[in-house]
Amino acid sequence: MSIHEPTTPTTDPATDAPAVPAEDWSDDLFVEGADWESLPDAIGEDTLTINMGPQHPSTHGVLRLVLDLQGEEVLRLTPVIGYLHTGIEKNAEFRTWTQGTTFFTRMDYLAPLHNELAYCLGIERLLDVEAPERAQAVRLILTEFNRIASHLVWLATGGMELGAVSMMIYGFREREHILDLFESQSGLRMNHAYIRPGGLAADVTDDFVERCEALLRYLPGRMREYEQLLMKNPIWNDRLRGVGIIDRDTALAHGVTGPVLRAAGEPFDLRKSAPYCNVEQYDFDVPTDVGADSWARFTVRLEEMRQSMRIIRQVLDDFPTGPVMVDDKQIAWPSQQALGADGIGNDPAYIQHIMGESMEALINHFKLVTQGFTVPAGQVYSAVESPRGELGYRITSTGTNKPYRVHVREPSFVNLQAADVMSRGLTVSDVIVVVASLDPVMGGVDR
Amino acid sequence: MATTEQLTAYLAGAFDELVTDVAFGELTVHVPAERLLEVLAWAKDDDLVDAELLSDVSGVHWPAGEHVVERQTSTTGWPDYRTSREQGVIEVLYVLRSIRAGHHLSLAVQTPDDDPRVPSSTAVYPQAAMFHEREVHDMFGVDFTGHPDQRRILMPDDWVGHPHRKDYPLGGVDIPYKNDKTIPPPNERDLREVVR
Amino acid sequence: MGLEDKLPSGLLLTNMERFVNYARSASLWPATFGLACCAIEMMTSGGARYDLGRFGMEVFRASPRQADLMIVAGRVSNKMAPILRRIYDQMSDPKWVLSMGVCATSGGMFNNYALVQGVDKVVPVDMYVPGCPPRPEMLIDGILKLHEKIQGQTFAEQASGMPGQRPQLPLAQGV
Repeated sequence: MSIHEPTTPTTDPATDAPAVPAEDWSDDLFVEGADWESLPDAIGEDTLTINMGPQHPSTHGVLRLVLDLQGEEVLRLTPVIGYLHTGIEKNAEFRTWTQGTTFFTRMDYLAPLHNELAYCLGIERLLDVEAPERAQAVRLILTEFNRIASHLVWLATGGMELGAVSMMIYGFREREHILDLFESQSGLRMNHAYIRPGGLAADVTDDFVERCEALLRYLPGRMREYEQLLMKNPIWNDRLRGVGIIDRDTALAHGVTGPVLRAAGEPFDLRKSAPYCNVEQYDFDVPTDVGADSWARFTVRLEEMRQSMRIIRQVLDDFPTGPVMVDDKQIAWPSQQALGADGIGNDPAYIQHIMGESMEALINHFKLVTQGFTVPAGQVYSAVESPRGELGYRITSTGTNKPYRVHVREPSFVNLQAADVMSRGLTVSDVIVVVASLDPVMGGVDR
Repeated sequence: MATTEQLTAYLAGAFDELVTDVAFGELTVHVPAERLLEVLAWAKDDDLVDAELLSDVSGVHWPAGEHVVERQTSTTGWPDYRTSREQGVIEVLYVLRSIRAGHHLSLAVQTPDDDPRVPSSTAVYPQAAMFHEREVHDMFGVDFTGHPDQRRILMPDDWVGHPHRKDYPLGGVDIPYKNDKTIPPPNERDLREVVR
Repeated sequence: MGLEDKLPSGLLLTNMERFVNYARSASLWPATFGLACCAIEMMTSGGARYDLGRFGMEVFRASPRQADLMIVAGRVSNKMAPILRRIYDQMSDPKWVLSMGVCATSGGMFNNYALVQGVDKVVPVDMYVPGCPPRPEMLIDGILKLHEKIQGQTFAEQASGMPGQRPQLPLAQGV
């Protein structure tokens, strides 16, 4: 189905040369944001409307900010988004449930495991299964490490945008160690597709606990270094304190959740109010601050990293054994894979079973791989606490092997609504601080 | 924190003519479009429900016709899924969350898909609903009456069509880039809808 | 520099070409065009472990006028494509484009209405680096191959990319 009229032929029939000279083809890309006339009128005579982005060194990705300025002071900020819209939600309707994991993990690309976790928790609710204890523990450990990694990227890019370029190097250096852990378990540094409906894609390696503990020994010292670098730094203080104030009621009126809301004093955390992955067994605090400005958001995120390490420490102390995938043949095949002599990971006992012993098992495995499992009809909303706020999936199923509709409630999308009210009356350089402290990830905003 | 049963009973007491539906631990209230603002305002002000946060506004398109998934009972034990609609609907779903109490509930509004019109919840949640309703408008074509700034948010401003509707193709739409007139149609992988 | 259009390459200018190409490739300055997940891997390869500074590329110029190399890192949506083209046009010659990741190379796994199925529909690309996202080592490998390509270019080839004459795109004839 064509949504545009058929376009003119490419070749001139008389001469068979291209109908439009090659130099002019940049003018024919008519699909652009030609919205300048529709933007609100200037408020006064001194008002200047300026466009920041979408390609800009200091906006967090492809975000376009239209600022109405009076001199240097911002009267209104209009975020224009959609420059990274990928159609992930629609694309998932044409793939199986397990393949959807690979799509959704690329939305919020700084915290991919959280995307996968919320999606798989929703499917498990529809399937009415629960992932085994070991899988829940590994999921919790990896998502908390992902929270630390995401906050490190926030520190790194936020520091770089504010001019503290050393933070960029330090933040990404620490993140490398966490990514090493992810790579050793899931095979990928980013966008893992490791958390699958029913459990995990494969069991963790034998040295998983040692690797995690090594990281837990290494990270706190580094975090002390950041605090020494930043906490008393006069430039950091001046640029963050008092900038971008949003109090609790205004934040909730805008739908803001996550560290921004917690920095306004409201201790709302989905790990406490609607716990998942057995997190209620572990002892941790929800850091809040009363400042409600960018400095408060900075301290809240630093403290969240510490609390994540506390949770990981407790999970490691009590690390369960057992399978990592639910024991239902309709949903997943066994994942007790071992590295074979040919260097390929396989489960020799399972292969013996499906190839030699049981025809039904072979057919079942074939169907699982090609068609995927089916999920009962229904609708759920499943939410987790991602590093940016409440990440929710509204999953609708009609009883087949493909999702009927998956909608994602992404925290960055909602938090960006508050950028306007947070930057009224500030200067342009403070707008950078405000957007950086909101920590939007444009992949999640635009999906 | 109110449990789902308590909330259901409380809602039935307040609005006994509305259909409430508890499935998979989710409480969903089906609200006709003209009563949406009333229910939202009540949920926001009420002490028990205390829906301070509008978490999410999303849409699902159920086109007209029959949608049958058969043979489920024999293979999975689930009942056959069978719906048939003469009038396609777009279902707009709201998630309301209480911060103090920690519970959440969903509202579902159905509107015909050839002229979808829903009162805008910016009347009750002036800021939280802005981007969400713009997205549902962009993706499904729902007209939220009373929304102060209803324009496309994710697609380019001059885009034609509403991508998340079921009658919109996944890809293969013409974009006139000069040097390549045809974008190949998507590889939909021939994943037929199957039931085990 | 019009002389070299007319002379067959290699006649007078070989050493000059080699020197100029070496200078160009040894300090390619990338323009920041990070879009999505590949942008994070690009930032990582500029970081401490995989150091792009070894190749003279740690300075990511914000202004396209000051940059030589545009690394298109990430998925290019249809809304972003005109902006991509505009940034490319603003870069001054000589300029190169490296398409990083499968989404930039061919649309990647997102074969749908929202993405441009390959940025070579919008800008001419000199090097394609596949991966989702490519490891920083893969990106550096692509950059080094691009260095070799630049070093192998003669002035006559480079002249065809001068302002006023666009190089022929591989798909220009409506494949």
